[in-house]
Amino acid sequence: MDGEAFVVKLYGLPFNITNIASGLVAFIIVAIVVIALSRQLSMKPTGKQNVLEWLIDFTNGIVKSAMPGEEGKKFNLLAFTLFLFIFVSNQLGLFLQIGFGDKTLIKSPTSSPLTTLTFAFLVILLSHFMGVIQLGFKGYLKNSYLSPVAMFIPINLIEEFTNLLTLALRLYGNIYAGEVLLTLIGGAVSMGPVMTVVALPVEMIWQGFSLFIGSIQAYVFVTLSMVYIGGKVQKE
Amino acid sequence: MFSDLVFGAVGNFQTGDFLFYIVSFVILMLIIKHYAWGPVTKMMSDRAEKIANDLDSAEDSRKKANALATERQSQLDNSRQEASEIVNRAKDNGKKQHDDIVTGAQDEATTLKQNAIKDIEQERQEALSGVQSDVAELSIEIASKIIQKELNENDQKDLINSYIEGLVK
Repeated sequence: MDGEAFVVKLYGLPFNITNIASGLVAFIIVAIVVIALSRQLSMKPTGKQNVLEWLIDFTNGIVKSAMPGEEGKKFNLLAFTLFLFIFVSNQLGLFLQIGFGDKTLIKSPTSSPLTTLTFAFLVILLSHFMGVIQLGFKGYLKNSYLSPVAMFIPINLIEEFTNLLTLALRLYGNIYAGEVLLTLIGGAVSMGPVMTVVALPVEMIWQGFSLFIGSIQAYVFVTLSMVYIGGKVQKE
Repeated sequence: MFSDLVFGAVGNFQTGDFLFYIVSFVILMLIIKHYAWGPVTKMMSDRAEKIANDLDSAEDSRKKANALATERQSQLDNSRQEASEIVNRAKDNGKKQHDDIVTGAQDEATTLKQNAIKDIEQERQEALSGVQSDVAELSIEIASKIIQKELNENDQKDLINSYIEGLVK
């Protein structure tokens, strides 16, 4: 994971193949899991349908706590997809890291700042967009920048950028640090048999902890996303 | 500007990835919506509706059952009362009939007894009067033969009747 990334230039845009391949794997896993869980739906839920409904209820609960009103309903699907994708992305690097030579092909997509920034950007952009749709342009300006009083304009303006950056970098930092430590502990194995014996349980403990961090961060990311969107579409 | 500030240590900002993630995220969202989200949320709302309906209908059935039970109870009470009335009436009827029969029998017995007494009396009278006349004729014949003296038959009868009455008394 500390290897170089494959970068390809296409139509003048640089594409990071490592990032894209990892993202693709995460997308495919999410799609397959969700489609598999949603087969043979019935009025009386059994087994996998219960799992899916529990997940849906869980993300709906996140949205509802940020936006209790009717306007929150249209973000349910977004929260669900976002949560599943970030969750899978966080865990992907824990068990699947593929590389060729000194180059990495598959790792956690969220251990790249670009990925997390993309999603944070998507969420912040959507929050402004929905704010304008919900409250009208004047209402949006007043609600977002002039509240509670007009004097708050500079703070509110700065907050828009800090929201974007903190949202993205919190997730990135957590996952990236987890993977760096995993790699370091993994590297200790090559130092000799004694280190191997020491490193193995430490690696397992850290993997477990990373699993926990990955879940918490996915939850935090979705919760904050919904709070930001809620702040824009609801009058305070 | 931000890429230099924030990601200077990480590497270059690959703008292509940005597009890739946004596009593929939207596609993933559409896939999930089509294959899972739509059907599952529809199923969940259907279920919520069905449960609400079932609760309502259960409430209705419970009310109906209660009403039916009350009605049945009152009918049962009615029929019990009716039954006891019928039994009482039958008892009364039976008693009355019993009394009638007993009275009738008593009356009949009395009548029969009286008739029998009357008959006996009559027959005794007849027998007595028959014997009277026989005795009178016999006495006359005996007397006429014994005393050979012609007496007026009527005088003789009076004489004998006075004897016989003396006998009866």
